[in-house]
Amino acid sequence: MVFNSYTFVVFFSLMLLLHNLPLPWKVKKINLLLASYIFYAAWNPPFILLLWLSTVVDFFVGRALYTQQNKIKRHALLVVSLVGNLGMLCFFKYGNFFLENFVSLCNVLGFDYHPAQPSIILPAGISFYTFTTLCYTIDMYKRESKPVKSLLDFSLFVTFFPHLVAGPIVRPPQLVPQFESERKATKQQLLDGLLLLTLGIFMKVTLADNMLAATADAVFGAHAPLGSLDAWAGVLAFSGQIFFDFAGYSTAAIGVAMCLGFILPQNFAYPYAAIGFSDFWRRWHITLSSWLRDYLYIPLGGNRKGQFRTYINLMITMLIGGLWHGANWTFVVWGGLHGLFLWIEKALQDSRRKATNLSPEDTVVATASVIPGVKIKENFLKALLTFFMVCITWVFFRSATFGGAWGLLNAMFAGTPGATPLLTSIAIIKVAVVITLMLVFHWTMRKTTVLKTAGKLPWWGVALAWSFMLVMIILSQESGKSFIYFQF
Amino acid sequence: MKLNLPVKSLLLALALTVSAAVCWELYLRSKGIEPDFDDSPELWANARAMAYEPADKATVFIGSSRIKYDLDIPTWESKTNTRAVQLAMVGSSPRSILADLANDPLFKGRLVVDVTEVLFFNNAPYVLASPEEGINYYKKRTPAQTASFAVDKYLEANLVLLDRDFYSVNGLLNHLYVPNRMGVYAGLDFPVGFGFTSYNRQTKMTASFLADTNRVNQVRGIWGMLAKENTAPPMGGKELDSFFAAVKQDVNKIKARGGEVVFLRTPSSGPFFMGESMGYPRAKYWDRLLTTTGCKGIYFKDYPTLANLVCPEFSHLTPDGAVVYTNGMIAALKQQTNWKL
Repeated sequence: MVFNSYTFVVFFSLMLLLHNLPLPWKVKKINLLLASYIFYAAWNPPFILLLWLSTVVDFFVGRALYTQQNKIKRHALLVVSLVGNLGMLCFFKYGNFFLENFVSLCNVLGFDYHPAQPSIILPAGISFYTFTTLCYTIDMYKRESKPVKSLLDFSLFVTFFPHLVAGPIVRPPQLVPQFESERKATKQQLLDGLLLLTLGIFMKVTLADNMLAATADAVFGAHAPLGSLDAWAGVLAFSGQIFFDFAGYSTAAIGVAMCLGFILPQNFAYPYAAIGFSDFWRRWHITLSSWLRDYLYIPLGGNRKGQFRTYINLMITMLIGGLWHGANWTFVVWGGLHGLFLWIEKALQDSRRKATNLSPEDTVVATASVIPGVKIKENFLKALLTFFMVCITWVFFRSATFGGAWGLLNAMFAGTPGATPLLTSIAIIKVAVVITLMLVFHWTMRKTTVLKTAGKLPWWGVALAWSFMLVMIILSQESGKSFIYFQF
Repeated sequence: MKLNLPVKSLLLALALTVSAAVCWELYLRSKGIEPDFDDSPELWANARAMAYEPADKATVFIGSSRIKYDLDIPTWESKTNTRAVQLAMVGSSPRSILADLANDPLFKGRLVVDVTEVLFFNNAPYVLASPEEGINYYKKRTPAQTASFAVDKYLEANLVLLDRDFYSVNGLLNHLYVPNRMGVYAGLDFPVGFGFTSYNRQTKMTASFLADTNRVNQVRGIWGMLAKENTAPPMGGKELDSFFAAVKQDVNKIKARGGEVVFLRTPSSGPFFMGESMGYPRAKYWDRLLTTTGCKGIYFKDYPTLANLVCPEFSHLTPDGAVVYTNGMIAALKQQTNWKL
C-alpha cells in the first residue's frame, strides 16, 4: 500500500479511529501490528512470510546473543543472523545480478554457459527491514542495548507500517521504548503530523510525479541523441524527482507516525543546500548514512587506522552503499563517485589543515570567524557546486546502462550535433521553476525545519500554504504511483 | 524554538480546499462538461478481469479505438442479453492482447477482433506500448491497487475535475500552448469532447464536439498529419507471413479450448478509407487473415446497413452511428456464426 492512494486514506482513517478508542495499550499494539501486516500484504501477500521469518529469527537470536556467554556460540549466533538476513537480501535482490555476472565471467573465460533465467520478484522494502533487523542483532552482539522484552514489541518495531517499506531506517533505541508505555498523539502532534503528511504527499504526487517524472523518463529513456538543453533538463528533473519522491515518503512516514503519537528520526535535511559531500551525506537519507557509518565504516576501522585505511574504508562504505540501492554496476559507480568526491574533499580539508597547522576543532572555529556576508556568498557557491556534482552522479544512478550514462554525460557537456529537440517548452519551464524553487527553499531552510518554520508563520499563512498543497494534490491526479525507493 | 500550530490553520486550510474544489467543479459543469473516466491501465485491468465469463454470458472485444467508438455497449447488452467486455485500446494494435488471451488457459470465451489495418498489421513499438502497459498492470495488480480502484471509480464517475487529460495540473499546463522549439514532437492534441469514456470503456464523441466543425476538423487534421508522417511501407513479405502465422497460432490456442474468434472491419470514411484500401488491399490483408485463421469476418462494406455509415472525422462513428452499427453487427454475427445472441 502506498501513502498516495485512496486505499491508504481509508486505512489510515480507520487506524486513527482504532488508535484513539479507549482500549488497553496491548490491544492497541496488536491493532497496529495487524494493520502493519495488512499494509504490507496489500502489496503482495505471500511476502509477509519473509517478514515473519526475519522477525522471529532475529528476536530469538538477538536475545540469545545478549545472554549467551560462550564466545563461540555467540559468534555462531551472529553468523546465523547475518547469513539469514543478508542471504535473503542477496537471493531476492542480487540473485539475478550475481547470476548475470557469473555468466559473463564464464563467457569471458571461454565457457559457454547459459542457465535458465530465474524469475525472482523483489519483495518491497526488503533492503529497509533487513537493515532494521540487522542493527538489532549487531547491537545485541555488542551488548550496546538491552534485548526487546516481548515478541509483540519487537514485531511492531520491525513492521510498524510508517517506516516498513522505505524507511526512515530505525534503530531499536529510537522506537522500541515508545512501545513500552501508552502513546497517543497530542492535539499538537496530530496537527503537525497531518501537516507533514500533506507536505510529503504534495512532494511525491505534485512535484515528483506530476512536474518532473515525465521529463526525467523521456530524457533517460531517449533512443535518439540529445542536445545539451534536453540532457540538462532531464538530469535536473531527476535530481528533483528523486528528492521529492524519497523525502516525500520520509516526510509522510514521519507525519503518519506522529499522528499516532510516535516519533521517527529525521531522514532528510535540505540536502541540496549541502556544502560539500560529507555535508550532503549528513543531510541525504540520514538514517542510511548513519547506519553505514555505525555498522560498516566504524567496524572497518573508520579513521582510527591511519590516513590510507580511512580513505579505503570510506570508499568501501560508499561502494556498498551504492550497491544497496540496486543490483546494477551503475549503482556501484554512483557510490564510487560519491566516495571519490569525499576523498577529494577530505584531501583538501587535510591539506588546508596542515597548511594552517590547525586541529579539526580549530578549523571549525576559524571557519565560523570569517566575515558573515562573504562567507554566505562563498558557501552558497560551494553549495551550488555540490549540487552540480551530485547531479552528475545521478546520471549513473538513473541510467540503466553505462552506454546510456556516457551518452547523456556527453550530451550534457558537449551536446550532440544535429540532435532533434526532445522536450516541450512547458516541460523545460516546469523543471526550471521547480528546481529553482527547490534550491531556494533548501538554502533558506538549511538550518531549520518545516515545523519550526510553520510555527513562526501567521496562522492564516500556514492555512494558505496547506490549502495550496491540498488543492495541488487533488488537481495532480497521480495517485497510486509507487515510490522510487520501494525498488531498493 | 518551535511554536505551536493552531487548529484554526487546519480548519481554514480545509475550508479553502473544499471551497476551491467545489467552485472548480461547478465551473466545469456550468460549461456543460460531464464526468468521464480516464482510459487508464487501471480501467483496462478492471475490464480484463471480466474476460472469464462463460461464452454464453459475455463477448470480449479487442482492437483499436474504432471498436471503442463503434460498439454501443448498452445496445449490445440489451439486444443480446450478454455482457460486452471492451478490451480495445486507443492507437494500438490488439496483437499483444490477442496473445495474452490465447496464452491464458482460463479464457475460453468469444472474442471479436477489430482490424484497423494500419495499426493491426504493424509491429512498431508505439502501437504495442499501451496494450503491454495494460497487460503488465493487470498481471502485477496488487490488492491495494484493486481496492484503490474501487474507491476511484465512484469519484471519477461523479467529479469532472478528475479528468486527467484536460483538468489536471499537467492537462491545464499542456493546454497553455506555449510554442515549442522547431522539431519537438508535442504529442497528439485531441480536442475536448472527442473522447468521452464511460466505466464500461466505451468511448463517444460528445454532442458539443459534433456540433463544432472546428474541433471535428482538428481531428481530421491529426489523421492527415499522421498519414504524412507515417512514410513506412505497409507490412509485407516474410514479415507479413510470420505475422499471419503468429495470429493463426494464437487463434488456434483459443479455439482449442472451445473459444471462438471473429474478425471485424469497422467503418471508416472519405480519404481515410481510400488511403487504407490502397495501402492495405483487401485481398492481401483482410481476406488472407480470414483464410489463414479459418475465422469468420464482418467487413462493413459487405452489409448494406453498415456500408454507408459515415464517420464525421473519417475514422470513428458518432454515438447514433454506433447504435446502427451495433445492431447491424449483431445481425451479421447471427448470420455468420452459430452464436446465440
